[in-house]
Amino acid sequence: MTLQFAYFPGCSAKTTCSELNQAMHRIAPELGLLLHEIDTPVCTGSREIRSVDPLGFLVANARILAVAETAALPLMTVCNTCTLNLIDTQARLTGDSDTRGEVNVRLASEGLVYRGPVEIRHFLWVLLEDIGPVALRKMIKRPMRGLSVAAFYGCHITRPPSRYGYVDSRNNRSLEQLAEVLGCRPIDYSGRTECCGFHTAAANEKVAIKLTGQHVADARENGASLMLTPCPLCHTVLDTFQRDMERDLNRRLDMPILHLAQIVGLALGVKAADLGLNQHVIPSNGIIETLNGSI
Amino acid sequence: MPTALMLAESEIDEAALNTRQAALVVHDDLAARNAALQPGDMIRVRVRLYNPDTGESSIEAVALTYHNRMRVLDALNAASTSSLDIAYRWLCGSKMCGTCAVRMNGREVLACWEAVEPDMLIEPLRNLPVLRDLVVDRTPFDIKVAAFEPWLERSTPYTGFPETLTHQQMRHASAALECIGCMACYSACPVVGLGGITAFAGPAPLVQLAQTALDPRQRSDKVLRSLEASNIFDCVSCYKCEEVCPAHIRIVTDVIEPLKAKAAALSPRLARHPLTFGAIVAARGRIEPALLVLRLKGWRALARLGRVLTLIRRRKIRPSRTMLALASMLLGRKPGP
Repeated sequence: MTLQFAYFPGCSAKTTCSELNQAMHRIAPELGLLLHEIDTPVCTGSREIRSVDPLGFLVANARILAVAETAALPLMTVCNTCTLNLIDTQARLTGDSDTRGEVNVRLASEGLVYRGPVEIRHFLWVLLEDIGPVALRKMIKRPMRGLSVAAFYGCHITRPPSRYGYVDSRNNRSLEQLAEVLGCRPIDYSGRTECCGFHTAAANEKVAIKLTGQHVADARENGASLMLTPCPLCHTVLDTFQRDMERDLNRRLDMPILHLAQIVGLALGVKAADLGLNQHVIPSNGIIETLNGSI
Repeated sequence: MPTALMLAESEIDEAALNTRQAALVVHDDLAARNAALQPGDMIRVRVRLYNPDTGESSIEAVALTYHNRMRVLDALNAASTSSLDIAYRWLCGSKMCGTCAVRMNGREVLACWEAVEPDMLIEPLRNLPVLRDLVVDRTPFDIKVAAFEPWLERSTPYTGFPETLTHQQMRHASAALECIGCMACYSACPVVGLGGITAFAGPAPLVQLAQTALDPRQRSDKVLRSLEASNIFDCVSCYKCEEVCPAHIRIVTDVIEPLKAKAAALSPRLARHPLTFGAIVAARGRIEPALLVLRLKGWRALARLGRVLTLIRRRKIRPSRTMLALASMLLGRKPGP
């Protein structure tokens, strides 16, 4: 059975985390996903445009939703912040017909119209709900035995409560559930649903380095062999700033950080190089050796 | 083991209901959360005590008998009348006065509004000095708020009467007026706790600021002064404040973001990061992260040369792409077809 999605990779997966986009396209056929990438350069506004240009933010997100709507497909995302921006836009435009009218005036020049019924699906939800753990388990060619996984959710896929329903976001256990399906052992640690600080990193990276260093160190202390994140923005901080965290903490961390699509790809038997693992700052050789040893 | 606790259905908006994750929604009122316990069950309460005279901190435990609709506050009352001598604050017992906030099992709650759990560790709020046991000193918050001069002042007197203010104009300021000043958000904020590396004011003071700064009558020079002092752009948008707010104020969406927009309107220098981000997206369609950092930091971006070279080697940064983006941004061109 093939599941079809309009696919919005977002800026990060098209630039600094291009390995995520590469891995996603590589594993989609294996998972029975047919992805129609929305390839026009467009940004959901991250936190920056969202705060200083509220209408421009809504237009940018409504444009993406309108494109998916034209194709009559659900929209799949691979970035937490894009996901929340799209969900927030949909909620705002559902409840506020005046603003919806203003947005549609701006979209009309491109021949697009936003009506609103598009389903927004993060890849994590596609794996666990659309494909489902039972079907996913049958697809696994290389069970990930011997790997201890520290899930790092990032904020925008588990908070705010008005969108995701968690009174306590620590109750989100979807990544651990997925890790178990893939044959890994999920570990518990205090950083699971904490913030990586990405959204101030371009201007003040010290906040991100300080915040995230303690979470990586805590994952290390609890025996994680890798950290898994569903968000390329978290990945950027966890991976590219990790050497700075080591300097700040005055200790080695050497914690490989994997994108969701990469860990699924490894379990499906895809070669590490095809998943772009060599594009990370922190090498993943240890993981590959563990996997090869377990076969 | 915490169960999946969800908001009441009425608090989930329409669009979220259309998405499939909302299928997980269950009722989460006091009775539903208490359903895990039956009257007569024993619960374990551990309280972190702190004695300022000796500077010693300890955790004391007590076992209590659960009764129907038992709240954290009931447990504290029962514990302090049985065996423990605990200093804690409360007044109204009905989610109005904002004095009884504590951390229960690592989460900020109002003691008067939270159901007990079978095994609880109750601690004082973070990011404020502890006076004794569960009582914290609110002075750092008071000082920050006082510095904002949180009263309305016009730059020119209003001549007509009555003054018309629309719902739209007052939307964000009135959301901020729901605040009961409990400091739960201030304790939950991960940035406030970082201390020396940022002077971020924190969510609770910003909510107080929003009550006047987002009122169209307020003098803009005063708003600008307060926003400059607040370091608001060090907010990481993690929504931890929204998660714990007992008044259900959407602190990021209805307070911090409108304040950021205000800062951008009053002083482009203050909002250089988001405005530069917007300019790059306007020129390129999407953000080019390396260019954003280069524009924000100038040649200081190369201070960490080792990191830059590693990122180039790992194909995370492509200098040719960054330079192309820079050129198109300087020329103010839209991306080609």
